[in-house]
Amino acid sequence: MEAIAALERDAELMLRVRAGDDTSFGVLLDRHRAPVVHFLYRMVQNDAVSEELAQEVFLRVYRSRATYEPTAKFTTWLFRIATHLALNWIRDGKKEKGQESLNDAVEGMERQVPDRQPTVEQEMLYAVKLKEVREAIGMLPEKQRAAVMMHKYEELDYSQIARALGCSESAVKSLLFRAYEALRVRLRHMA
Amino acid sequence: MDCLRNAKSGAETLLDYCSGALEPARVAELERHIKVCAECRSAVEAQRELWETLDHWKAPAVSADFNARLYARIARENEAPAWRRWVRRLTQPAAPYALWKPAAAALVCTVLAVGFLVEMPAERHAPHAPSASAQIETEQVDIEQVANALEELDLLTPPAPSKATTTSANPM
Repeated sequence: MEAIAALERDAELMLRVRAGDDTSFGVLLDRHRAPVVHFLYRMVQNDAVSEELAQEVFLRVYRSRATYEPTAKFTTWLFRIATHLALNWIRDGKKEKGQESLNDAVEGMERQVPDRQPTVEQEMLYAVKLKEVREAIGMLPEKQRAAVMMHKYEELDYSQIARALGCSESAVKSLLFRAYEALRVRLRHMA
Repeated sequence: MDCLRNAKSGAETLLDYCSGALEPARVAELERHIKVCAECRSAVEAQRELWETLDHWKAPAVSADFNARLYARIARENEAPAWRRWVRRLTQPAAPYALWKPAAAALVCTVLAVGFLVEMPAERHAPHAPSASAQIETEQVDIEQVANALEELDLLTPPAPSKATTTSANPM
């Protein structure tokens, strides 16, 4: 029930934005900024690019406020735009140009460590695991990667992922099964 | 409950169970089943381990100035001329694939149609060297015409008189 209320609230906020209320756009931005940036970060594996693309997502939402119709869930729409931009960026071959070095993995790790100070060994082990996970996910075909990111990390359901990717639910399930199978094989040694 | 490997939706059940999306009644059913089925237990464990491994990857925090940068971009865009904003909306749609594909297809068709119409009169007025296939076709037509003409000539020409007729007709 809470989830439904939140979805209705998103649509309501967007309708207010359409009516010219920019404060509601700020509320939407605060609610969805982190999931969109995180999804894009895992898709393109580049900190700066993920924020740039996320800005483009929200800019496009703002641009189309006048024609907004609550026909689909706001989150689905948002992830559809984000997926489209991420896949385009990957296909354009920008990945090679802006690919972060391994330092990013360590940098990312530093930001994520809990309050208690980890030992050097723990840090190194974490960095190695993180690198392997990133590489395994990076090796997945684009659509499989997008499906896994939305399913595992953003907790979207099959129908939302299907709408975001522009395919059927059964196609999404097939993408996910194949992707998880590949990941199980590649990351088996880490278990 | 059927084994996950045998059930039609076994893979889906496995995913839903590990992601916490499976209904409580089915969770209980599955958990009862994996207690007695080593194969399914192993499949569940493998997926659960993968799930935990993927949890290692935490995304970094969003920059503190994200909103400020976005609002600055919006402000810049609002200051841009109306035509530029309109072009941006057209070329960078919020709903991907919704409008631009048919629009692009229509544009390509229009360009092709215009190109075809422009090219056609030019061809009529400025004949150029015919291609090899056209030449062959022309030659085939010419041979046929010649053959037909010869046949017609044959028909028009009175048949050659027989020797007997010739003899009687020509007293010499």
